[in-house]
Amino acid sequence: MCTAAIWRFLTFPGFKQARVDTLKIRDAADVEQAVRTAIASEQPLEIIGHGSKRLIGQPMATNALLDLSALNAVVAYEPNELIITVQAGAPLADVLSLIDSKNQQFAFEPINTSALLGTPDIGTIGGMIGAGLAGPRRIRAGGARDHLLGAHAVSGFGDSFKAGGKVVKNVTGYDLCKLLAGSWGTLAVMTEVTMKVMPRPESERTLVLRGLDDVTANRAMTVALGSPFDVSGAAHLPASAFRAGIGGLGDMGAQALTLLRLEGITASAAHRAASLMTLLAPFGAAEILQDAASAALWSSVRDVKPFAADGALGAWPVWRIVCPPATGGALGQALSRDTGGDVVYDWGGGLIWAALPPKPDAQAALVRARVNAAGGHATLIRAPEHIRRNIDVFHPQQEGLAKLSERVRHGFDPKNILNRGRMIRGAAT
Amino acid sequence: MTIMMPASDQAVLARRDEIVAALRGIVPGEGVIDSAAEMVPYESDGLMAYRQPPMVVVLPDTTEQVSNVLKYCFEQGIKVVPRGSGTSLSGGALPLADGVLLGLGKFKRIREIDFDNRAVVTEPGVTNLAISQAVAHAGFYYAPDPSSQIACSIGGNVAENSGGVHCLKYGMTTNNVLGCEIVLITGEILRIGGKSAETSGYDLMGIITGSEGLLGVITEVTVRILQKPETARALMVGFAQVEAAGECVARIIGAGIIPGGMEMMDKPAIHAAEAFVHAGYPLDVEALLIIELDGPGVEVDELISRVEAIAQGCGSTTLQISTSEVERNLFWAGRKAAFPAVGRISPDYLCMDGTIPRGALPQALARIRGLSEKYGLRVANVFHAGDGNLHPLILYDANQPGEMDKAEAFGADILRVCVELGGVLTGEHGVGVEKRDLMPEMFSEIDLNQQQRLKCAFDAQGLLNPGKVFPTLHRCAELGRVHVHGGNLAFPDIPRF
Repeated sequence: MCTAAIWRFLTFPGFKQARVDTLKIRDAADVEQAVRTAIASEQPLEIIGHGSKRLIGQPMATNALLDLSALNAVVAYEPNELIITVQAGAPLADVLSLIDSKNQQFAFEPINTSALLGTPDIGTIGGMIGAGLAGPRRIRAGGARDHLLGAHAVSGFGDSFKAGGKVVKNVTGYDLCKLLAGSWGTLAVMTEVTMKVMPRPESERTLVLRGLDDVTANRAMTVALGSPFDVSGAAHLPASAFRAGIGGLGDMGAQALTLLRLEGITASAAHRAASLMTLLAPFGAAEILQDAASAALWSSVRDVKPFAADGALGAWPVWRIVCPPATGGALGQALSRDTGGDVVYDWGGGLIWAALPPKPDAQAALVRARVNAAGGHATLIRAPEHIRRNIDVFHPQQEGLAKLSERVRHGFDPKNILNRGRMIRGAAT
Repeated sequence: MTIMMPASDQAVLARRDEIVAALRGIVPGEGVIDSAAEMVPYESDGLMAYRQPPMVVVLPDTTEQVSNVLKYCFEQGIKVVPRGSGTSLSGGALPLADGVLLGLGKFKRIREIDFDNRAVVTEPGVTNLAISQAVAHAGFYYAPDPSSQIACSIGGNVAENSGGVHCLKYGMTTNNVLGCEIVLITGEILRIGGKSAETSGYDLMGIITGSEGLLGVITEVTVRILQKPETARALMVGFAQVEAAGECVARIIGAGIIPGGMEMMDKPAIHAAEAFVHAGYPLDVEALLIIELDGPGVEVDELISRVEAIAQGCGSTTLQISTSEVERNLFWAGRKAAFPAVGRISPDYLCMDGTIPRGALPQALARIRGLSEKYGLRVANVFHAGDGNLHPLILYDANQPGEMDKAEAFGADILRVCVELGGVLTGEHGVGVEKRDLMPEMFSEIDLNQQQRLKCAFDAQGLLNPGKVFPTLHRCAELGRVHVHGGNLAFPDIPRF
């Protein structure tokens, strides 16, 4: 290994376009060393695990990758304590199958972005937390931020620090874990994390209502989520969602589907499904899917299969819109009407995935105006690099909040070494 | 008081009259209190062993007033201590002699109830319980339920990230708050989040929650509300050994059951509670578990029978299952009255709050017994067994010279044991002044510096609630310095591709 060459290269940041160097680190001490050297040479680093989500965010100007995939050990798994401690580069697929073997899960249902982005891999634990993209059960169980209990990370000061702890209940000091989740690697390089795990429900039932328009479906989901039946998934797929002919949805017909999931012990899920069916009778007769059929449907919803990269809408930019749940139906309907795009709804209407016909700005001005009016925010989750370069991928914040966020980022990484410019347009240069 | 607070700024104290007058210009009428007699109620919070009259009390009733008070204090370099209902058990609202005590008690209005979005927008002085009461007619409630919920304010809950007996299943405050309006020390008013499930950008709501009044003053909170479970039933199970009770808790969790609440009491706590409320607790057991299952009746019945079988498999010596709401409430009555019950058998008590991994419970209790002998002070243990949150109550008599110091040293040793066993210093009461000097037991200087850099992003002058949480305060300029290690680096042997 010609190691000296890496570091000599790093000390010449002007040498940009020609090569990308990958620093494959072996342990947390390597991360500290690499970041310190990068600070000394003012060389920004792109932090990657498996690189499964590199296509998300503003394009970054860096020619050095800090590759954490070798930090892949499971440090401790204690099912009875409901916690697992793993290194940040651990493959998510392996960790999911490990906890599944003990009938446990990450309750927030992390998204597998590979279908949406057309990448081969589901990624690592570190990427899961850095992206913080939660699936349908977020309405009941919270997001990645609610399940990250502790972390070891290296800041942009080149210092390894600890945040949180390894127990489920902890209020000692600032909750830095909340910041790390969803920070897209811009604050610190996580090296080890402790996550909360939860029991996997024994069984699930999904109530399926057919043929509702978006606004009516939003109302049905609002009624369901306002019931005591503990709904753990509430999604709506307009008829247009089926044009891509994606697996898991293919045999469900060509009508709009409104889906409501109930999980728990078998007797309870069945009982609540029946009660919910009665409650929702004004919205039409529902059918009930069980276990495997139900699970397949929800994984398609979770991973946004209707907008898969290899499907009919694979070339369309995709927005992820988070809004007050009861406003989702009207917002999504207006967006699809005014752009000719497709939308699917999750979180009872609180999450809208919108695939819009290609335009130079991915219709950002229109999307942001509508979303602001509804009190939500929108992230451009999929678009070609030249489009992402010229618009704000993450929702622009009100000025005071943006300045505070920048001060917070500065408090972790004053030299802007880590994933420089991934969340803020113009910061990469 | 054994904890050192930051030295008073004599220049500020010398200008007291002028400062009071300026504050009266911002908050008119009885909203500024400066007489020694009227300030007495504000001298301490729930950690009553610590007392300090503030320089002046200000009780604004609009966000604009809060903003102007903070702006004035910022410009004049005056320290500010925010206060909700003053129920903190860690001294989070302990005043400073040279500081303004900023009480949010007049922010008592619920601004909006939005059932469709399952959210309540409320002013910070509204009590935790009042939120649940305001939405109860539609079958909703606000899940976090700290034991002080009749009195504690939602603003204080956010500042402390309060928990309660149901947080194993329903989460703490941080898992149930959607947004806030916060005023920075500069007077700047910011809105974070709202009725959406997630905020945009960095999760600032997540760090404000549990920041113990050091980052800003909350003037509005948006919380999410849930539908009440259809029904709830409880089991009361006694064990001849603490170890067996601990094993029972582990097996219930291991079986995939997350009870709505799972509480443990040891023998001294059981006896004190029984003598106080006559809940029918068995007196010949070493540990008592109260396990509540909630949900649809069919689910609760099924889980009750599963838990019953697990408990019997762990060698329970007594087992009762509630058959009515009256009985369920009776099971809880002793647990809920445990603190005052202990108050009856001792002139004073200190309530500790550490978290340990559940599996370490028998070890922790053995270590606490050992410390009890060492210090010659009795202890009763109440425990949120489901999530490993331990509340040892140390019994002492403040009138005996030196006994309070001994009790505090005992308490600090218990928290050290918690950290040593893989746990943390505080599960739900906060660090405040009480555990401030123990922070290095859990965090290195580097860890604490990183937390303080966050403080610098919000309050670079360190004027908001100084003397809490951090044992040593650093200047932000010093914390912000990047030490460049270049030039003389030992190049690591990192593989390159």
